Amino acid sequence: MAGDAGRGGSSRVKFDRFARRKLVNRIITVLAGLAVIAALYPLVDLVYTALVQGGGVLFQLTFLTARNPTPCSVVSCATVGIGPTIEGSAILVGLASLISVPVGVLAAIFASEYRTRGIGRVVSFTADVLSGVPSILMGAFVYGYLVLEYPNLVESVISGSLALAAIMIPIITRTTEEALRTVPDATREAAIALGIAKWKMSLRIVLISALPGVVTGVLLAVMRAAGEAAPLILLTGFSTNWYTRPDLPVGSLPVLIYTYALQPYSNWHAVAWGATLFLLIAILVVNVLSRYTIQRMVTKMSGGS
Amino acid sequence: MSSSGTGTNAPPTGTTTGEPTIQRQKRGRGALIAVVAVIVIIIIVLAVGYEAGWFKGSSSSTTGTSGCTLPSAGTIKGEGSTLVAPLMDQWATSYWTGSIVTYDSAGSSAGIQAVSTKVVDFGASDAPLTHAQRSSAPGILTIPESAGGVVPIYNLAGLKFPSGQSSLNFNGSVLAQIYDGQLTNWNNTALQALNVNVYIPSVTIAPVYRTGGSGTTFIFTSFLTLENSYWASHYNKNTSWPSGLPGTGASGNGGVAAAVSTTPDAIGYVDLNYAQTTSGIGVGNVQNPSGKFIHATVANTESALATISGASGFSLPAGSGDWYNVSFLNSPGPTDYPVTSLTYLLVYQDLSSAYSTYTLTSAKNLVDFLHWAITTGQTWSALLYYVPLPTFIVNSDNTTINSMTFGGSSIPVCIPSGGGAPG
Amino acid sequence: MESPTPSPTSSHQSPLARRVRRWPDQLFFAIILAFAILVVAVAFAIVGILAYNSQQSFRVFGWQFFISSNWSPNGQVFGALPFIVGTLLTSAIALLIAVPLSLGTAIFITTQAPRILRTPLGTAVELLAAVPSVIYGFWGVYVVHPFMRATVEPVLHEYLGFTGLFGPPGGSGDVLTASVILAVMIVPTISAVSRDTMAAVPAAQTEAALSLGATDWETTRVATIPFARSGIIGGIILGLGRAIGETMAVTMTIGNVDRVPDSLLGPGQTIASLIANELLSNTGPLQISAILECGLVLLLISLMVNVVARLLVWRATRGVGGRVV
Repeated sequence: MAGDAGRGGSSRVKFDRFARRKLVNRIITVLAGLAVIAALYPLVDLVYTALVQGGGVLFQLTFLTARNPTPCSVVSCATVGIGPTIEGSAILVGLASLISVPVGVLAAIFASEYRTRGIGRVVSFTADVLSGVPSILMGAFVYGYLVLEYPNLVESVISGSLALAAIMIPIITRTTEEALRTVPDATREAAIALGIAKWKMSLRIVLISALPGVVTGVLLAVMRAAGEAAPLILLTGFSTNWYTRPDLPVGSLPVLIYTYALQPYSNWHAVAWGATLFLLIAILVVNVLSRYTIQRMVTKMSGGS
Repeated sequence: MSSSGTGTNAPPTGTTTGEPTIQRQKRGRGALIAVVAVIVIIIIVLAVGYEAGWFKGSSSSTTGTSGCTLPSAGTIKGEGSTLVAPLMDQWATSYWTGSIVTYDSAGSSAGIQAVSTKVVDFGASDAPLTHAQRSSAPGILTIPESAGGVVPIYNLAGLKFPSGQSSLNFNGSVLAQIYDGQLTNWNNTALQALNVNVYIPSVTIAPVYRTGGSGTTFIFTSFLTLENSYWASHYNKNTSWPSGLPGTGASGNGGVAAAVSTTPDAIGYVDLNYAQTTSGIGVGNVQNPSGKFIHATVANTESALATISGASGFSLPAGSGDWYNVSFLNSPGPTDYPVTSLTYLLVYQDLSSAYSTYTLTSAKNLVDFLHWAITTGQTWSALLYYVPLPTFIVNSDNTTINSMTFGGSSIPVCIPSGGGAPG
Repeated sequence: MESPTPSPTSSHQSPLARRVRRWPDQLFFAIILAFAILVVAVAFAIVGILAYNSQQSFRVFGWQFFISSNWSPNGQVFGALPFIVGTLLTSAIALLIAVPLSLGTAIFITTQAPRILRTPLGTAVELLAAVPSVIYGFWGVYVVHPFMRATVEPVLHEYLGFTGLFGPPGGSGDVLTASVILAVMIVPTISAVSRDTMAAVPAAQTEAALSLGATDWETTRVATIPFARSGIIGGIILGLGRAIGETMAVTMTIGNVDRVPDSLLGPGQTIASLIANELLSNTGPLQISAILECGLVLLLISLMVNVVARLLVWRATRGVGGRVV
């Protein structure tokens, strides 16, 4: 092999060996580039399909506010709207957030302030482990509990929100804890040295300093919950009614997509694509927006401190 | 969003020199908190705004058909059969606005399970309760609210029909052999014998069946059991599709219809409504005991009910009785459709002991809906390809519903007016 | 006003950990402790409820349950093997497809791409992770599966059918399609963690290699990857953890047949899709118990996989900028 020539070999041998290495490098670059294309192609294809199939439906004037369509049959074959479904999703996620944000953030404060003690580490570890639990199992767990104790709540807004909260809490706890960890102890000590009460220090100083990270985590969890269908299929189910009472089922965008996709009606498929596009846009926008905002805040923080 | 401050290191004027870092950090956070607050507000506004503006628009009437006073508003949760789901959804939409009816079409077994565990107010199942299921839901009543036909659907490109025939002929025995894997190719002798001048392409059959517990499966397997002795001895009739058979599973009548319409060379079994409203599939004719190949319609499923119930010695069980052997399959009428079946609502007879959260209003709401369903609700049946309940069933159901009690006494009935099909 | 004793706080002990005296602080402590315990309680509750409901099935079927491939609701006989195999098979194939793609992506973004492209490409790959599973399933049913069935699978059956792995294609869903979609879903997970661990490699290593005249690829191969290896493996295991628990995309594309798959081009069922399909719609309490016992298996496998992955990732990145994927 040319490699045996070593440093003292002829310049031609050295050139061949170097050329070979450059070639290998280039091949790897090409392969890696192909990998990126292969990895991103599904995203492009998916967004494109959603745009083509759902665009016409989504950008109807009243799509976001009108009632769900009946199947293509006697009554109509319209792609009327997903108003109740959007409302349902908002309520489910809103209620889940109301439960999970306080629980997650406060548990994270506990974990981060006591991170050297056993109990703090147990909480942190548990949150980590919980975040890997499949969402269908969260749904099965809430179902298993409610069907014994409160069967009339199994198919309701409450059960769905509980399951979504169970999914959101570990995410919020972990990200908040990470964010709190980045706040230097010097800040805490300065606050205490100034005579600020400990709870005030935790909430108004430490938490606020870590806010970009915390907000990212909350938004991440909210977006995750907004897209979850599995636990809702077992619990809340799907309804095309507007929200009235918390012990009744509501519609939600992910379950609408699942339900309408597995039916044979073309107008329902179109509505499902419209809902898909809407959900994709919402998630992508919030994702990009939160990155941009957090990035600006982080540069400010590093610039200011 | 704008943010205050320019990120310089100079402490803002007017602050104590002791807290410059904290002050600046707090100000920088202002914009972020604003963004979060806006998002939260949007969510709240969405929820409140829609509810206020869109739902409570029209006031609901308070008088029923006979001038009686309707109960104050209530909710009714139902779950079960996908076979009757289109009709149920129509009822839920058309029913009196004072009472909210929700229906979760998760399949007949899910309906039985939900009503047995008191998750819902009524269950809907095309399969009557087994002895074991009746034991785990003591006091349950069976109330047929509709009837329909189960038809074979297929997706086979390249079929060529002679004049006079536009869909494939099947009989129960061939269907059984297709589904248990004895016949694997569309172009087989048995099927060709039923379709003499039809060109059938030679491709592998892709059977589609129901996952989970399905009343439609129960009806279909009951028919196959009657028609094919091999099927009867090996697989029998059940709500769950037998294990080990070829094909793929789909969820719900809708799922089977969707799977067949998107899978080449597939065959499936669905209710007549789904067969009529799904495009891209063929609906098969099924041979009845008279030897004729019948293409299911409301008329010939209706006549199947009439023929069997008209036979001497026929009677329906009491609402609290055992309906497992009630069958309208293989009706002897020459033009009757052979795969016709009732579908049932399942409710508890003693509502106060069944549901701890029930009040008299809840009981009234449920009973009123049941009465409405078997009377006004039936005006929707034919439009949606279901059989309108014949009088003898309506009478039997009336007796059953009137036997329901709350707190030991019978429940006053007031049927809301309107909500029927137009015209 | 409280005047805390100024004690020399060492860097590892949080100031809050000192004894609290005033009632607002005590109340605050009580609240955060309560919520912390709640989080731990949820974890125990999940295991507890699944275990409690599995009892009946375990009593009837015992340990045979996990190796029996007979799932027969009509005969009231249940065995978990079809779903355990289905879960592992789809995840394994998904990894086989996703790992090269993810590593290639990570390498490209970290070392090869021009600096301006790095963030957009990285963001784009991470957006793949933000897409909900049900949307992947929807796209899978109407775009991916018809394509696989019409184009890819006949070719596989034709040329690789002799291996016994690729039977005749057809039907409304199959193991391979579900695996492909799973692969798409876990690429961002593996890629993001790999990028993080590769970025955490000390610059001294990579610079040393470069200064010795190594090409980019050689640097990556010799300096970065060996250092980042445990993190990358952690990322792969994290991706595995995500794949085994995926429900929606799988249940919509796998064919829903409760049998050990006899071919990659045939239908199957995973534990997650079993629960989605049959927990509410079944033949009675014994089947429910069997289904939840399978759920318990899934839970225990996920927990183990997740713990191993986190340990590997944490060790590799030393907790730097912990990413939440």
